[in-house]
Amino acid sequence: MPPQDRRQRLDALRDTIAGIERKPALIEARQRVEAEGDGFPQLPRGLVQEVYADASRDGGGSLAFALAQARSLLNTRRPSIFYVQLAQDAQALGLPYGPGLTWFGLDPASLTIVRTADMMEFLWATEEIISCRAVAAMVADIKGSPRLLNFTASRRLSMRASSNKVALFMLRYGSRQETSASHLRWRLSSQPGSKNPYDSKGLGAARWRLRLEKGRIAGQRTEWLLEWTKNGLAVFTSPSTDSSFARQSTTVPGAVSALLGDRFSEAS
Amino acid sequence: MLYLPYWATDFLKRADPGLRDAPLVLFERIKGGLRLGAVEPQLLRQGLRIGQNLADARAIFPHLVVQEMNRPALADAFEGLADWHSNASPLVSILKDVNAFGDLVLDVTGVSHLFGGEQAMLRTLLSRLRALGYTVSGAIAPTIGAAWAVSHFARSQVVENASLETILDALPVAGLRISESQISGFLQMGLTTIGQVRQRSRKQLQARFGSSLLLRIDQAFGQIEERMTPRLPPIDHHVDRKLADPVSLMDDVLMITHDLAVKLSFMLEAEGQGAQSFHLFLYRVDHKVMTLSLNSGRLTRDPHHISDLFRHRAQRLGGEYDAGFGIDMVRLAASSIEQLDQVQTGAFSDESGLVDIDRLADRLASRLGTAAVLKTELLASHVPERAARLVPAQAAAAAVSVQTPLLQRPLRLLPFPEQVAITAQVPDGLPALMIWRRAPYRLTKGQGPERLGGEWWRQRARLKLVEPPPPKKPEPGEKPEQPSYVPDLPLCEPFAGTRDYFIVEDGEGRRFWVFRQGLYGSGQQTTWYLHGIFP
Repeated sequence: MPPQDRRQRLDALRDTIAGIERKPALIEARQRVEAEGDGFPQLPRGLVQEVYADASRDGGGSLAFALAQARSLLNTRRPSIFYVQLAQDAQALGLPYGPGLTWFGLDPASLTIVRTADMMEFLWATEEIISCRAVAAMVADIKGSPRLLNFTASRRLSMRASSNKVALFMLRYGSRQETSASHLRWRLSSQPGSKNPYDSKGLGAARWRLRLEKGRIAGQRTEWLLEWTKNGLAVFTSPSTDSSFARQSTTVPGAVSALLGDRFSEAS
Repeated sequence: MLYLPYWATDFLKRADPGLRDAPLVLFERIKGGLRLGAVEPQLLRQGLRIGQNLADARAIFPHLVVQEMNRPALADAFEGLADWHSNASPLVSILKDVNAFGDLVLDVTGVSHLFGGEQAMLRTLLSRLRALGYTVSGAIAPTIGAAWAVSHFARSQVVENASLETILDALPVAGLRISESQISGFLQMGLTTIGQVRQRSRKQLQARFGSSLLLRIDQAFGQIEERMTPRLPPIDHHVDRKLADPVSLMDDVLMITHDLAVKLSFMLEAEGQGAQSFHLFLYRVDHKVMTLSLNSGRLTRDPHHISDLFRHRAQRLGGEYDAGFGIDMVRLAASSIEQLDQVQTGAFSDESGLVDIDRLADRLASRLGTAAVLKTELLASHVPERAARLVPAQAAAAAVSVQTPLLQRPLRLLPFPEQVAITAQVPDGLPALMIWRRAPYRLTKGQGPERLGGEWWRQRARLKLVEPPPPKKPEPGEKPEQPSYVPDLPLCEPFAGTRDYFIVEDGEGRRFWVFRQGLYGSGQQTTWYLHGIFP
């Protein structure tokens, strides 16, 4: 069999399997992403991504990773990001803080915070939000492993998210992993931040190591070392080398320049 | 005006069929004694009276059925009856001047034609209450005072403006809604009817009985307008659906609500208006009204949206929903009405998602409660926990944004700062070791301090003022100078609420926002807190 035919047949078979599994978004992710270069790809809408951090003390990093992606999905037709949390978890996890969002480069007015009383309402609110086609992204912050959030529930959410093209980020904590129907699963761990050029004891940019544990994007790559710059997420190659300002930083498409990015959410 | 003189006993007899033929009296404890509070009419005719000792009454009628009077419960039930009467007139109130329950005022201006005239309306109102077993008398009159007097002391009738004075003059003085002592005063004077009182000069009456009497007379005869405060807020737009057979399932009610919402939207559309508040009144067969109210974030008249909101609101109701023996009328009303122009959808509309977002927030708030759907509002304050606050998303649209300086702030803030143990190499230096939630963190990097002072103007403290000049000796003929007023507040301690904030990073790259309350060397105890988490 000539390699051309073989490849076509393989592609056709993959499409069929994906059609059976009804995961059109994942195919789209793979196809779109392969064209990008070395940097962190911009993931399309409609994906359910689980971001696992080791403990609730790492919640800052996982929220930042989710918001950094969500920020680039905002536009006038989808002007809003929703954040859902159980009311009882507020002290343990902390609530998104307006001035901090401004510093991060996200207009606090575009983030709506929903605090529910129990897990039943939490799931209802999640489903209601991702059914709305004017929502750019939704961040669900879940502490522990509630029994209601089983495979059936997550399958329901992932189908709803991909049919409405809403990005759903589920922030989870701990090392225990449950079966879920999410498209991608990340494991996020903090890395020592970059050096501050003016102060050896001072703080530079925040860095995280992201390991892709489930799903596939951009070929076979499963590990990224990311750095948060004001332009978006940048890749640095190894923890030892230091990123300078002139480094090739992949700007997340759609993000505005650093000067504007401080105060305004981008409007594309 | 409807007067239900035996409401207490009638109501209990209706609620409990076992009491129907029993001689029922209600007692209450007054000054340590048990006295009759309500007596049913038959026993009143046989010689019992209100206020009588319970033991005396028992001696006269050994077979009395006696219950303790629960005034709050009775008043509550009467309010339910009053609300139910809003199916006759939108303006209903309870007259509480004399008694907490028993007197019902309906403003029938512009309503009576729906019942075929005032006579027919009065007959309908009275007969439907009598059919339920209540003793009731009523009157329709130009003033509230006149209606009260006629309903209490004459047969039920409609009083016209022309015959108002002749009818009122013949009634006893108690019809003026005056106190017991005033009535007995009139009896001592030998005045029994209102007409006799009115022949006396007003000055003498005021000197003896006070101005309240004159006010009541003027109100009854219409010289002074008396106002009623309706129990339910007045509503401009409403649609009703009367049902031949009562329904009890919530699903049926919601279907009717959708029909009504369609009707209401036609009504609003014809006037080019939209509403923000919607109220659903469910009239139960047993004279209670259930009210569901909700708000929408922006003006709307979309029937699907309205009925969606009520569906979500009903799900939150859960066990509270009790249809009793059924619901026989449903009313959907709109308030907070303002002009809402038609918008063209299609070619030239901006495809902004804001409308959909507001509707989503409405739906979430109708199910989860308004306090659950929040937006951040930035305030002009440098204290971190006061610089932002969460407000309901529906109210946040109108808020004015303030320009705040761009500061490095954490992405997550703990609602309450948590105390941590911190050791530093030198007292004023960067923190080196932290114990938070029983886990140690070795802090390798740090940035700070950022010193934030307390808001002394919120602590009710006063700044140390310049010493006032010593008072001059008053020269003869001059008024002594008043010393300037200095409020008696504690002096301001400039460093009392001062915090030093540090951003610290541990060996694994986690970043926290910690602060030290109190300054080293100021003699106070210093305490460290963790306030936020950086990415």
